[in-house]
Amino acid sequence: MKGRYQDENLKWIPALIALVILLPFILKGMTFSYKYYLYILNTIGIYIILTVGLDILSGYTGLISLGHAGFMAIGAYSSAILVDQVGLPFGLSLIISPIIAGLFGFIIGFPALRISGMYLGLTTMGFGFIIRRLIIALREWTQGSGGLVVSSPELFGFTIKGDWANYFLVWIFALLAIVASRRMMKSKIGRAFMAIRDSEQAAEASGINLAQYKMMSFFISGVFAGLAGVLMAHTNHFISTDHFDNMLSIYFIIMVLVGGMGSIYGAVLGTIFIVFLENLIVPVVEGWLHAMFQNEAGDIESLIFGLIMFLFIIFQPTGLYGMWLKIRIYWKLFPFNPKQRFT
Amino acid sequence: MKRITTIIMFVMTLGLIGCGGPAGSPGITEDEILIGNVQDLSGPMKELGMLLPSGSNLYFDHINSNGGVHGRKIRMLVEDAQYNPQKTVAAVKKLIEKEQVFCLYNVIGTSPAEAVRPLLAESEIPLIAPATQSGTMSDMSRPAAEYIFHTDTGYDIQSGILIDYAKGMDENAVIGVIYQDDDYGQNVIKGVEESEAEMGITVQKESFQRGATDFAGQVMNMMKGGCTHVIIAGIVKEPIIIMKTAEAMGYTPQFMGISPTMDHRVSLAAGAAGEGFISANFAQLWNSDYDVPKLYRELCERADVPEAMMGMYHYYGFSTAIVLVEGLKRAGKNPTRKKLIRGMETFKNWDGAGTQPLTYNRNDHAGAESVILVQISDGVQTTITDWLK
Repeated sequence: MKGRYQDENLKWIPALIALVILLPFILKGMTFSYKYYLYILNTIGIYIILTVGLDILSGYTGLISLGHAGFMAIGAYSSAILVDQVGLPFGLSLIISPIIAGLFGFIIGFPALRISGMYLGLTTMGFGFIIRRLIIALREWTQGSGGLVVSSPELFGFTIKGDWANYFLVWIFALLAIVASRRMMKSKIGRAFMAIRDSEQAAEASGINLAQYKMMSFFISGVFAGLAGVLMAHTNHFISTDHFDNMLSIYFIIMVLVGGMGSIYGAVLGTIFIVFLENLIVPVVEGWLHAMFQNEAGDIESLIFGLIMFLFIIFQPTGLYGMWLKIRIYWKLFPFNPKQRFT
Repeated sequence: MKRITTIIMFVMTLGLIGCGGPAGSPGITEDEILIGNVQDLSGPMKELGMLLPSGSNLYFDHINSNGGVHGRKIRMLVEDAQYNPQKTVAAVKKLIEKEQVFCLYNVIGTSPAEAVRPLLAESEIPLIAPATQSGTMSDMSRPAAEYIFHTDTGYDIQSGILIDYAKGMDENAVIGVIYQDDDYGQNVIKGVEESEAEMGITVQKESFQRGATDFAGQVMNMMKGGCTHVIIAGIVKEPIIIMKTAEAMGYTPQFMGISPTMDHRVSLAAGAAGEGFISANFAQLWNSDYDVPKLYRELCERADVPEAMMGMYHYYGFSTAIVLVEGLKRAGKNPTRKKLIRGMETFKNWDGAGTQPLTYNRNDHAGAESVILVQISDGVQTTITDWLK
C-alpha cells in the first residue's frame, strides 16, 4: 500500500541537515569574519520560521496578513517577560510564548471569517499597530518603546551564548519548521487550506468547516511567528517596538512573494534571497552610488525591494521556486522541450 | 566511507585555518585607525543623521592633514541602520566582525544604542559619544556601561534644569511638558517626576507619537491647564508646529525645549511664533566666538560646507569627533581598546571640544551634567546663561 509521503522526494532532508551542520565550519575556515556571516545566517533561520508560517496563511490558505511583525513581537515580548521577569525556564517559554502568539492569531482569525483580500490586509496591518501601542502601554513589563534587554537562552543546564551556539539553536528550529510545515501541507489540513484558497464555496460544499480551518491557519501561522520572535529575543538580547514596525511585515510578504507563494521551499528561498540582498548586495550598490554621485545613497534599500517585488509579480509570479521548477523540468525533458512552455 | 572521511578532514582543516586571526589590536595599522559609526541615513531621522558624520569627517580630515593621531590617519566607516535597533545590531556586528574597527563612535538613537550593549560586552569594544542624550547611556549599573562614554547631559537632567529655570523666572510658574512618547520622552519624564517630588509641584504632561504633525490637542490642554511655561521634548519639526499652533490659538506661554530642539532652523521656520523660545544646549553655540566654534566655521569655509548643513547637528558631529581624537591621543602610540578606555578615564574637566567640561573616571562615564540655555531673540539664537547644573 502506498504511504502518505511516498510521492515526496525525501532525499533532500539528510543533505539539508548535513549542509546546515557543516556550514559554520566551512565559513570559519573561509573567513575571519565568520561571526558576522553566522549572524546573517541566524537572521535567515529566524525569518524562515516566520515566513514558512506566513506562507501557510497567505500562500496556502489565501488569507493575506500585513501584520506578522505583530505576532513576532508578541512571541518576543512574551518570552522576555516570562523568562526574565516571571522566572520561567526558557524551554517552557519556548512552548508557551508561541502559543500566546498563536492565540492572538486565533482572535484575528475572527474577522477573517467575514472579510478577505485588501480588507483583511488592512485589518491585520491595524493589528500590527495595535500590538505596538499595547507594548508601549504595558510599560511596567515592556519598558515602553525604550526596549527590553533579554537574557541568553538556557536549555538542559547549558547557556546558549554567541553566534556559534545561536546558529545551532536557531537552525534546529528552522529545519523543524520546514519539515513540519511540509508535512502539514501534505496532510488533510494542508489540502483543506488549499481548497479554501482556491474556492471557499467549493471547499464548504466538500464538507470543509471554513471557520475552523481559517482560524486554525491563523493560529498555526501565529505560532510560527511567535517562535521566531522568541528566538530573536533571546539570541539578539534586545527587543524594541522600533523593530516590529509595519515595514517588517511588508518585508515578510516580499520574502514569501519573491520565493513563490504557496510553496514552503519558496518561502525559504525568498527569505534567503532577501536577507542576503539586504545585508550583502544593497550595501555594495549603495557604495557604488555613493562613489558615483558623491552623495549618500539614501533609501536605496526600499527602492530595490519595491522594484524586485514589482518585477517578480509581473514577470515571475511563481517566484524563485517556480523558476527552479521550470529549470528542473527543462533539464528533465532536454532536448525534447516544447518551446512555448519555457519562453 | 572514504569519501565522508575526506570531507570531514577537509572541513576540519578549514576550521583550523580559521582559528588564526590578524595580530595586534583590530582596526589599528601602521598608518590608520579605523572607527565605526552607525547613523540613520534613510530612516525617520535621516535629515539629522546625514549631518553628524559630515561634521565628524570635517574634524578628522583636519587632524589627518596635520599628521593624524600619533602618525595614524583616522578613517571612519558609516553604516546606515535607519534608527532601527535590529538593523543597528547587524551594522555593529558588521563593523566589529567584518570590518574589524578599533572602536565605535556616534551610534544614533537611544534604542539602537541600548541594543548594542551585549555586543560591546562580548567584543570589549568602547563606544565613544553615543549620539543620544538619554541619561540611561551613563547609568553605570546597566550592562556594558564600562565601554560607553557619554558626552551629553541626560534628558532627565536637562528637564530638571529647565524646570528650575522656569521656577527661577517666576515662582508661580505653572509648568507643562509636551513629550515624544518613546525612550527619549520617557527619560525626560523621569527628570520631570524627580523635580515634582523634589519641589512638591505638579507638571502637566501631554504626549505625542513620533512623527506626529498635529499638536492642536496637546496645545489646547496646556492652555486649559493654565500652563505659563511649556517644555517641548521633541526634535526640530515639533517645536515649530507647537509654537505656531499656540500662536494661532492666541496662547502665549514661555516655550522651552530639550536640547534636540536647539537647532537654528527652529528660529528660521517658527518666525514670530518662535520669538523668546529657550532651549537647552550641550555645547557652546556653533556661531559663537569661542575657539572651537571659530575653528569649526573656519574648517567649514575651507571645505565649502553648504550653509544649510551648518548648525547644531553638524557641530555635534564635529565636537564629539574632538572628544574621540583626544581619547585616541591619550590611548598612546600603541593603542588598544583597553588603553582607549583607560585614556578616556583620564579626562578631568576637559573643555577642549567646545562642549561642557567633560570628566570621566572608572565609576562615572556620564561626562557632563550641565547645559547652557539659548534663547531666540529677534530671530537669532543668543546664549542667556552660563553652564547650569
